Amino acid sequence: MALRQDLHSLAGPYALDALDIGAEQDRFERHLQRCHTCPGEVRGFREAATRLGLAAARQPPPEMRARVMSAVARTRQIPASDDRARHARPVQRLRPVTRLAWAGAAVSLVAAVVLAIALVNTQSQLSRARQQLSQAQAQLQAITAVQTATDAKVITKGTSVGGTVTVVSSVSLHQIVLRTSGLPRLKAGKIYQLWLIGKKPNKIRSEGLLVIPPNGHTGPVLISGVLAGDTFGVTVEPAGGTIQPTVTPIVGIPLPS
Amino acid sequence: MRVTEGGFVRPEGGEENLDGLLTRVARGDQGAFEAVYDSLAGPVYGLINRVVRDAAQSEEVSQEVLLEVWRTAARFDPAKGSAVTWVMTIAHRRAVDRVRSATAAAAREFRSAEVPPRLSDEVADSVAASLDAERVRHCLDGLTEPQRESITLAYYGGYSYRQVAQLVGVALSTIKTRIRDGLIRMRECLGVTW
Repeated sequence: MALRQDLHSLAGPYALDALDIGAEQDRFERHLQRCHTCPGEVRGFREAATRLGLAAARQPPPEMRARVMSAVARTRQIPASDDRARHARPVQRLRPVTRLAWAGAAVSLVAAVVLAIALVNTQSQLSRARQQLSQAQAQLQAITAVQTATDAKVITKGTSVGGTVTVVSSVSLHQIVLRTSGLPRLKAGKIYQLWLIGKKPNKIRSEGLLVIPPNGHTGPVLISGVLAGDTFGVTVEPAGGTIQPTVTPIVGIPLPS
Repeated sequence: MRVTEGGFVRPEGGEENLDGLLTRVARGDQGAFEAVYDSLAGPVYGLINRVVRDAAQSEEVSQEVLLEVWRTAARFDPAKGSAVTWVMTIAHRRAVDRVRSATAAAAREFRSAEVPPRLSDEVADSVAASLDAERVRHCLDGLTEPQRESITLAYYGGYSYRQVAQLVGVALSTIKTRIRDGLIRMRECLGVTW
């Protein structure tokens, strides 16, 4: 019963597609078929989530329409009764003809080989996906660690081109977490570059490039290896970035030490 | 495009048009599909873009989703929910699949889960334009901060609730509760009849 209640509480995350893809999602979907109250709840939650989705509407690239329509013209649809027919009478049409037995055996062998290859592919994809996920999770954990560190300090500063940069700094972890808001999107050929500037002028390290998404918010970005006395800075550089900053930073934040 | 009372697309009743169109699409009506496209390409692309955060990938995923709508329209069952929700659910799932898959993991740290900005001029003259995004914002504002954070991280950020728990630094059960309570409140505030 405890387990069932536990499953039931997953209706919210399920409706937001926030269960782990695979086993957890499958388990909840099986529960959904037995549970009387869940389908209604999930449906209501999904309708609510749909409103969240609709609120994000934006105009697609105009050329997308022609591409989709031409793909549609080439794409066969599943027949209307497809699902139901398959469930209703799955094997009825197979006739037991001995003559076909050998052919059948050959087909099975091919099928087995194809299946084996498919399994190998799926396995390697799965392990790659797992690896990537665990990297992403490690990243999230590191970000959380900085933000919840006992010595975490938050510094927000405006930039000379508009918008703000917010840095959460943990001296003990030698890391900062960066977020930006309202930085203008740059013309093609230009990009924001992140820097840690040490006390000595030659101690400047590039910490990567930053692309501003359409909504103007970026982050959280984790930057490691912060040393005492470092200043965090952002410059506007040619796309691809540079080895050393070529212009005056649009913002400089002396980090706590 | 019709603007319904409160400026909302009403999945029940108000959009019976779209439900009907999708039923025609299931019978191979390409004209009906064009109408569905014109109504929903903006919401589909916008949502995917919100989650995926990359224009090229968003377009790719949007095309896949819209083609899937065409291909599998026969699976749409009006008894189980509205056409809008059916399409948007496919779109969200595909977007989440994409961000949680291998290629996107690297860019992941750059994603945030901010609520979409106010609708601007760039929004298509379509269903999107008739939406009251302000209403959605208003309802989000009516949540507690932790509820709002959990729901936006999960839905717009594409994070699993486990990842949300890690990100926010609270127990899994707490996140489940926040999402559920927040969705109940959203459902009421938005006047969802289910």
